[in-house]
Amino acid sequence: MLKPTPLGRILLHLANLLVIAFFLLPIIAVTIGSVQSEKTLQADTRAILPAEYTLDNFRVILSGGEQKGKVFEQVTYLPDNIKKFYHAFANSVIVAVSVTFLTLAFGSLSAYTVARLQYRWTAWLMTANVVARFVPIIVLMIPLYVTFRSLDLLNSVVGVIIALTGFLLPYAIIILAPYFASIPKELEESARIDGCSRFMAFLRITMPLATPGLAACGVIVFIISWHDLLIPLILNSKAEFMTLPVVIASLVGDVHVFFNLMMAICLLALLPSVILVLLLQKFVVQGLSVGAVKG
Amino acid sequence: MSSMTAAKDRAPAARSWRRELSPRNLALVMNVPTFVTICLVLAYPIYYAGYLSFHRVGVAQLRKGEFPFAGLDNYLRLLDDPLFLLALKNTFVFTFITVSAEVVLAVAIALLINQQSIWTSRVTRVLILLPYAIPPIANGLIWSFMYSFQFGFLNRILFSIGAISEPINWAGDPETALYAVTVPYIWRTLPFAILLVHAALQGIGTELHEAAAVDGATVWQRFRHITLPLLRPILVVILVLRTSFAFAVFEEILAITQGGPGDATWVAAWYSYKKAFAPPFDIGTGSASAYVLALIVGALALVYVRFVYRRVQ
Repeated sequence: MLKPTPLGRILLHLANLLVIAFFLLPIIAVTIGSVQSEKTLQADTRAILPAEYTLDNFRVILSGGEQKGKVFEQVTYLPDNIKKFYHAFANSVIVAVSVTFLTLAFGSLSAYTVARLQYRWTAWLMTANVVARFVPIIVLMIPLYVTFRSLDLLNSVVGVIIALTGFLLPYAIIILAPYFASIPKELEESARIDGCSRFMAFLRITMPLATPGLAACGVIVFIISWHDLLIPLILNSKAEFMTLPVVIASLVGDVHVFFNLMMAICLLALLPSVILVLLLQKFVVQGLSVGAVKG
Repeated sequence: MSSMTAAKDRAPAARSWRRELSPRNLALVMNVPTFVTICLVLAYPIYYAGYLSFHRVGVAQLRKGEFPFAGLDNYLRLLDDPLFLLALKNTFVFTFITVSAEVVLAVAIALLINQQSIWTSRVTRVLILLPYAIPPIANGLIWSFMYSFQFGFLNRILFSIGAISEPINWAGDPETALYAVTVPYIWRTLPFAILLVHAALQGIGTELHEAAAVDGATVWQRFRHITLPLLRPILVVILVLRTSFAFAVFEEILAITQGGPGDATWVAAWYSYKKAFAPPFDIGTGSASAYVLALIVGALALVYVRFVYRRVQ
């Protein structure tokens, strides 16, 4: 390995510090913004750190507007959406978990046929999936809105789950197919000699061996569903079906909500996916690179 | 031939009471859930968006359930709308800036975290995935706090280090707003590009570099003539994928500028969204504008399938 010169080392350290600062800057901003009150933020518009810290922003969100603490004592108006934080959180969890489960189930059935039972049409299916990955959500949303309207699927969590599953399925198959292709055929074949049907061999032999691939695909699908805004924003207009991103988006135009409260709810929404990504880093890295180029 | 395979496949199943499906039929059956979902959510809507774009669809028509045929009216209206042309232009500018910045930054940062002997590189390597975990809409709101004219975090930092004496209106100035929204987008989508370059770098052995160093090649020469040519395939992948996704940027625009100030940051996806889902709910024209976006991205997708996806490993 080529060793950098001492001057080179210093420059590399400096470059790293710059990159680290760039990546951490918004995280520092959201954290500092969320632990102070509107008053402290407005009192001094040039200081980085506030004169006084408070957790009231989190208290008011997590208590559903019940406990106002010192900061919100005088406040008479709080957006309804902020009071429904737990509801939105639960909707987000239900959507992300169901979409992940459905996408993995449907996706592995398809990916297996693409990897193992190769026909001309499975190759076409794969090509169609790669093309489908490029379709922008906004293009789908207008016709989906009209279709779901006539199917009575607007304003329901089910509608969002169906739409997101369909949108993410091609990507999941792209990630899963190379994993299935990399599992040795021989294991399945010996199970079949022992009298196992092809489908049972898929379920009992191939699926367990594909666990790392399923984890990589699952965590990516979960993250994208947790983040998605457009599908629930357009399909649902009632507060009871809103997911966290929709609640956050609904605060954008609200002049009565100041940055502190917004930063607090952003921090609460990003924590689960940050923890998940950091814990399952290895799988995220694998899934993203396999999904971009054939493994 | 096919009957032979079929017979062979049925043989083990004869032992159980169930007859096993032939592989051909099994493949079909196993794809039923995918076919149904993709037809409902992807194939049909794409066809239907095309249908809607040739019809007049507004609130009244939705209520009645009848969409009168409008021919090319919706598309002609788009070409007549200076706002649509501006949105397209802004989208191209936005995409050009974000994608070129991402490719350059991704190569630079990937080379940086590839330095095994530098301990800060290991810290960076852990952190690069962080932006990937941030919900785009939250990212947008965080940056709208960063950019705020009066209370913004960015101005606070610049004040503290003495770089400015008057606050800067980053996202509120029509001259800078479009450039301001590129930064949050680059921040959020950079991990993907870095990861791909980093993975490609692992495949380049150190032998070539060492041999070139022995021959007296400088660091820059080695990068230019060894690393860069070997990275070209993955850079094409990043270029095509990121371009097509940047064309559909939405969340950061919604959270930071909502198209403003004035119409300085209207982009294609924002135009379709506002046309179709804000008064007067012109779904026909919204579909037509979304279709223009789909055609541009579709062309990129074909390039990707035809020339990129199969060639790279």
